[in-house]
Amino acid sequence: MQVSLTRINKRFGSVQVLKDVDLVFPSRKFVTLLGPSGCGKTTLLRMIAGLEDITAGSIRFGEREVNKLAPRDRNIAMVFQSYALYPQMSVRRNLGYGLRVRGTPKADIEEAVGRVARILEIDHLLDRKPAQLSGGQRQRVALGRAMVRKPDIFLMDEPLSNLDAKLRVTMRGELRRFHLDLDATTIYVTHDQLEAMTMSDLIAVMHQGVVQQFGTPAEVYSQPANVFVAGFIGSPPMNFLPGTIDAGRFTFADAKLPLPALPGGVKPAHAAILGVRPQDLIFEGTPAADTLTGTISLVELLGSEKLVEVNLSGQKRMSVQIHADMVVNMGDRVHVKFDPQRVHVFDTESGRSLRAG
Amino acid sequence: MTDMRVEFWPAVKKVLLYVLLCSVTFVVCFPLIWALSTSLKPKSEIFAIPPTLIPKAMTLENYEALLTGRQQYYQSGGTAQPSGPTPAQFFTRWFMNSVIVTIGSTIISIVVSTLAAYSLTRFRYWGRTAIPYFSLVGYMVPSIIFVFPLFLMMVRLDLTDSLWSLIFGYVCITLPFCMWLMWAFMRSIPIEIEEAALIDGASRYQVFVNIVLPTALPGIIAASIFSMIVSWNDYLFGRVFINSLDNLTLTVGVMLFFEGTHVDWGLLMAASVLMTLPMAILFMALQRHLVAGFGAGAVKG
Repeated sequence: MQVSLTRINKRFGSVQVLKDVDLVFPSRKFVTLLGPSGCGKTTLLRMIAGLEDITAGSIRFGEREVNKLAPRDRNIAMVFQSYALYPQMSVRRNLGYGLRVRGTPKADIEEAVGRVARILEIDHLLDRKPAQLSGGQRQRVALGRAMVRKPDIFLMDEPLSNLDAKLRVTMRGELRRFHLDLDATTIYVTHDQLEAMTMSDLIAVMHQGVVQQFGTPAEVYSQPANVFVAGFIGSPPMNFLPGTIDAGRFTFADAKLPLPALPGGVKPAHAAILGVRPQDLIFEGTPAADTLTGTISLVELLGSEKLVEVNLSGQKRMSVQIHADMVVNMGDRVHVKFDPQRVHVFDTESGRSLRAG
Repeated sequence: MTDMRVEFWPAVKKVLLYVLLCSVTFVVCFPLIWALSTSLKPKSEIFAIPPTLIPKAMTLENYEALLTGRQQYYQSGGTAQPSGPTPAQFFTRWFMNSVIVTIGSTIISIVVSTLAAYSLTRFRYWGRTAIPYFSLVGYMVPSIIFVFPLFLMMVRLDLTDSLWSLIFGYVCITLPFCMWLMWAFMRSIPIEIEEAALIDGASRYQVFVNIVLPTALPGIIAASIFSMIVSWNDYLFGRVFINSLDNLTLTVGVMLFFEGTHVDWGLLMAASVLMTLPMAILFMALQRHLVAGFGAGAVKG
């Protein structure tokens, strides 16, 4: 089922939470709404679920506008961050509740609950109450409750954020597999860019109620539309240097750095921000016109890599990711270089990428 | 030597502690024990010197008299004479009156306060945060203040000397606190479980009945116990609103055992024991829920 949002606005009193959101979630895709807390992603999800009124705009499932439909008439399922299991009911009754209130015959409920419980490997927990389950088990019950009705659209509000780090990685894979098996459109909300990158077909990056960029994980990572997306996606985060563009070169302090082609066009002495990921920086033996010179102020071993912090002139710092075997010491003077094709250039005023054209 | 001390002193402390606790418990419970003891004594033993804590000739005649309403005869100048209507004859009637007003007022209080609390915590309207606090202030006003205006209202409604006047009167004094308690409890129920049920396909009504009520049950039990205790133990409203023997409640009725020329202590104590019993049983049966209910209210309220 395709979900289309057209010029969606949401206001709580005088606070505008969502501004003119236009998004189309293609049928059967795993789409993530990604953004920092307070960006409006959960509100948007709740509007799709029918739990929140729409101030202006239209939500359509397929061709049908659902603005005025009650949640139960939308054939959706939702997994809440807190799981929201019914505390008084056993796991069996939790799973079957949606079918029961819809008047499904008992035998069919039994069968559906059994099937979902087997898939999620919670069939041995069916007679327990939610309070007797671990976090991971509750998560599975919440998921099972969503799956049992065969909904057209799955909505998930940060379902992994209450799990410990290890379980989160496992569940990430499982959620993705369930999505492929279930053949439904999944809309997933998270603030964790790694979750978004690993699980999604498409990511909508949101900030302050506005969709900043909508594209595949590869697109939002390698062609960020603006400074916000560039800084939000990727770990460790991208380095930003303020400067000016003159005659195809980026001037920062004394350095004149090479740039890629900028189809957007630039004014003379155009104020810009250069963005480059720590993974795209290398240390060069000798200083040159296209290198930045600085002093190493911090070395962090991440395992297979090292993250090196370099103090540049003008109070700016850069982080550089290098192989763990490379020997570097605090206080070393180093020269940092990058491939011009791998940098991002943003207009200082608007924040927009100048590479996009 | 040191080992001895380590084992000896904690043991002594423990014994002393238990002795202390037992004596405090005994002092607190003594009136109750004495009442029970007196109620089981024959008339001849009640004023026996030295007094007996455990009756020598145990009898249930006082209970029998109360529960059957048997006419009492008193020795008066050598011949037995019927004594006219005695409180003992009305005991079962008063007991039922107390049960009716207690259950009636509790049902009304709980239904209204549960619905009010749900509304106060789930819908947005003017005053929804102020109402619970104001209702608590209402609860802090002594009920004697309400008696006169309530009595006038009952007169206008032509409800004086009826059990309805007591039911409404008790609702007036229990509802504010019940509502505050239910409000505090409802606030602790996460809204997500209701939203999950809405998405699952439940109607608002189904959400309330299937999800909210079972979750709020400890709160409902706590509020019910509170309401029942207040209604059951009330003396003031029963004294003021009711003026016929038929419609009295136990608290006021039992006081009549003191009136007249003769106080039958055995009957009075048996009546007191029977009056205490329902609340004691209720308390023991539900105290687990009571703690859960008040606890939840305390944390979130």
